[in-house]
Formats: sequence, structure tokens, C-alpha cells
Amino acid sequence: MPEDLAIRIEDLSITYKVNLEAKRTLKNAVMRASLRQEARTRTVEAVKHMTLDIPHGSVLGIVGSNGAGKSTLMRCIAGILSPTEGRVIVNGKISTLLALGVGFNPALSGRDNIILGGLASGLTKEEIENKTAEITEFAALPEGFIDLPVRTYSSGMYGRLSFSVAVNMTPDILLLDEALSAGDAAFKEKSFERMRKLCEEARTILIVSHALATVTDLCDTAIWMHKGQMLAKGKPEQVVDDYLKFLNVGSLPSNLEDM
Amino acid sequence: MPTNPDFVPKIQVFEPHRASLPPLIPYIKEFWQRRTFAIELAKFNDKAEYLDSRLGKVWLVLNPLLLGLVYYLVVTIIRGGGHNNGLTTLDHLLIGLFTFYFAQNCITAGAQSVTLGGRLILNQAFPRALLPFSCALQAFQQFIPTIPVYIFILVTGKYFYPATQVPGWTWHFIWIPFILICVGITGFGLALVFATLNVYFRDTNKLLSYITRIWMYLSPVLWLPETLHGKAKLLLYANPLGPALTATSNVWIKGEGLSGLIIFGCIFWAVVSMLLGGYFFISRERDFAIRIA
Repeated sequence: MPEDLAIRIEDLSITYKVNLEAKRTLKNAVMRASLRQEARTRTVEAVKHMTLDIPHGSVLGIVGSNGAGKSTLMRCIAGILSPTEGRVIVNGKISTLLALGVGFNPALSGRDNIILGGLASGLTKEEIENKTAEITEFAALPEGFIDLPVRTYSSGMYGRLSFSVAVNMTPDILLLDEALSAGDAAFKEKSFERMRKLCEEARTILIVSHALATVTDLCDTAIWMHKGQMLAKGKPEQVVDDYLKFLNVGSLPSNLEDM
Repeated sequence: MPTNPDFVPKIQVFEPHRASLPPLIPYIKEFWQRRTFAIELAKFNDKAEYLDSRLGKVWLVLNPLLLGLVYYLVVTIIRGGGHNNGLTTLDHLLIGLFTFYFAQNCITAGAQSVTLGGRLILNQAFPRALLPFSCALQAFQQFIPTIPVYIFILVTGKYFYPATQVPGWTWHFIWIPFILICVGITGFGLALVFATLNVYFRDTNKLLSYITRIWMYLSPVLWLPETLHGKAKLLLYANPLGPALTATSNVWIKGEGLSGLIIFGCIFWAVVSMLLGGYFFISRERDFAIRIA
């Protein structure tokens, strides 16, 4: 892989089967087997023959309607899901925020959860302890909350802490899936600033967002995915414009905020 | 070339698995590198489990101790038995229960570890076997405090009834770490099996509570291993915990060493459980994120 690339996606396809049973229980499986019936499943082609190169230092926005395959693509880049065909090559340390409240045990304090989240992402305990103060400060939790159980946090505090853990792990590649909707306006601005700083340091960021203004503000490239295929790639404004035309909703401020 | 100050080239290639297992050497390397995560997760889960309990970790000892006393009443007093026999039975019951609970906790907590670790699994790539492994570590941490309590009971019993069959200090106690390692590995291997099943069938855990109860009755916990004779003795070896529990009774209660057959039985079940559980779990773990989402 060329040295200037952070991620190379080669003819990637991801297909999986989903079980359509209302309850996936052993009892149902035994009943089905005794009646010689097969489980009702549906094959989902989440990503179809996608090829893409993402250079170091780029901020890529991924737009598309629900079920387009955006989250599946992100999980494959993170190594969480396996490709069915093709391959993904990644160069650098990855940090992810693909599901809010990652690694968080609600009975434990925010501080304990920061350690768990960091260790799960592959950092050493020493590295995490050095970053704890920075993470806590960035999350802007009210005083003393960092040592309280996470179950006492508001959803905003929970989201801010998750985001803070992800961005402060000094990743080479940061994958964010709808992670910017967590905080208030002030936190959002702070998050934008942090991400711009990460870009200046040539770190790569991939953002999945329905808030199209976020994509046009932050990203230097965008792709539009639809039913597992990449329909467009280019300047964020152009891609967002094409996407809005496709949806036939126009570029009203409400659409740009949440699509 | 990236200019970020902490960039260290780390190429990762994600490809379809030709066989059902991912490349095992990188998997084991990654598992070893992130072992601190499993250790800390075990510590934190242990801490969280008893945060709201007034007696806290005392329950770790109290629970099997009370259960031991209940079974002692059932087995000895109702059925009848002399002082020495009663003490031997109590000692056997307690060490059997403590050891069985160690394995049971590995399995029951491990079985839920993947389904309860949903967000972690949806968000981060790491060897998923770390989750049941941390449960096995937690079960071991919870088992450790029962040993001094058991030794105290043994010593007190020996003091009041010096004629008891239960031995004093013997060099055969050096077998205890071997037995515990075998129990831990067997428990971890079976936890991998049940954790995988629980992802596909969410009622596995309910079934598991019945399985472990019946399993305990079939194991030499409430009865002494020498109760079985002839072909019935095969029951001990067909049970994944049978050889280890027999070994436990031999060392703690009779003060004897382990026969070759018992050592083989302990190692056999540890290896079989690990291979079976490891294959079943690792070959399916890339599917977990889809099943859990």
C-alpha cells in the first residue's frame, strides 16, 4: 500500500444473514429442527463492490439514508466485521466511536470507565492514566462527577465522555458514527476544533453523519452511499447537494442539521 | 507520508477468512497484548458487583459456606452420621462446593459476557475471547478468599476432633495449583461454548442454571468419589469436572497424591474444553457484532 494512504478499500463486499425469528431461543431452534423447518433468514448485502483510497490527513464524510451500509463500512474498516469479498488495508492506530457509551459499565465511575475504554482500544494503563485529566477536562463534566457512577450521568454527559475518550486517544485514524449529536452547541464547537487540530496533525477522520452541515463544515471529501454502493465521491458541498436532490427535500436548514 | 508526531506505521489487513478461523498467531498475539484489559475488567466488574451490597465481598465466602451447611444438614444430620464422619463430610462438601462454584462462576458469567458486552463489541475490534477470559479471572479472584476460610475450618475441626480422617499438613498439597489451573481452563473453555450459544439463542443462560445444578448433583461434591464402584466410576471421568473434583477430595480430605488416571483426566478435560470452546467461539466471533446489533 502506498505510504501516503491511511486506508485502502479494494472491491469490498459485506454480506450477512439476519435471522427473522421474533425470538432467537434454543426452544424455537429445537421445535424447528423437530419439524424439519429451516430458520427464516434474509441475506443483507450491506456493502457492494466498493473501492476507495483515503490518504493520511483527510477528513471523509459519509452520507446516505438509513440502511445504506455506512455503519457496516465503518465497522469493517475498524476490523469489527469481516469482509465477504475484497479487503481493507489500514495503516495506523484506530480509535472508534461507533456506538455511544462504549465500554461503559454504568455501575462504575467515569474514571474507571475511561481506563476500561482505553485498555479495550489497545492503550497501556500508563498511557491512559496520563490522558485521564485531559479527557475529563475535555468532557466538561460537573465537578466531582468523574468519580461518580456513570449511571448518575445525564445522556449529554455520557455522550461527551464517550466522545472525549475517542478523540483523546491520539489516534492516527478516527472513526465517528453519529458521535457529534451528543453535546450542546458549545461542546459541538469544541469537538469541531479538536477535530480540526487532529487534521492539522495529519490524522485521518471518517465521519458518518445525518447532519449534513457537519459534513460540509468539517470534511474535505465526502462519499454518498446508497443500498451498499458508493454513488458519488467528491467535494462535500457537491456530494451533499447531489444527495439532497436525490432525496428531493431541498437544502433547508433543518435538512442540513439532521437528515 | 503522515506528519503526525506519534504516527507509528501499523498495517492491518482485513480479508475474508478462507477457513472459519481467523489467522491464529496474530489472534493469540493480540489476545496476549490486551490481557491487561481482561485483568482490569475482572477487577472492575468484581468491584461493581458488590458496590451496593452492605456485606460486600463477604458474600463470596458466606454464600458457598451457607450452602455447604444446608447440604451438610441434608446429607449428614438427616441421614445420620458420627462425629468424625460428619466432619469429613463437611470438609468434603465445602471444598467441593468452593471448587465447583469456581468453575460454575467461570461458565455462567462467561456465558453472558458477550451479550452484555454489546456496546464494546459494536465499537471496538479486539479478541472477543478476552470477555469470557476476564470472567474466568474474576471467578478465580472470588474463589481465592474461600481458601483461607476453608483452611481455618480444617484446622479448627482437626483441633477439636484430632482423630478425623482429614490430614494435617502434607506435601501432596502441592497438587492444588495444578487442580485449580485445570478447573480454571475447563471452566474458561466451557464458558467459550456457552457464550457463543448465548449469542445465537438468548435463553441459553436460563438453561445453564439447570444444567449446572444437575451437573453439581452428578459431580463428587455432595458425595465422596469412592462411593462409586466398578463401571459407575466411569461417570467420574465422563464429567468434565469429575477428575478435578476427585483430585480435590483426594488431596484435601485423604491427604493423598494424584493417580496417573486422575492427572490424565484433569488434563484431558482442560485441553478438550479449550480446543472445543476456542474453535467454536473464535470461528464465530466475527459474527457477534451482527447478532448483537
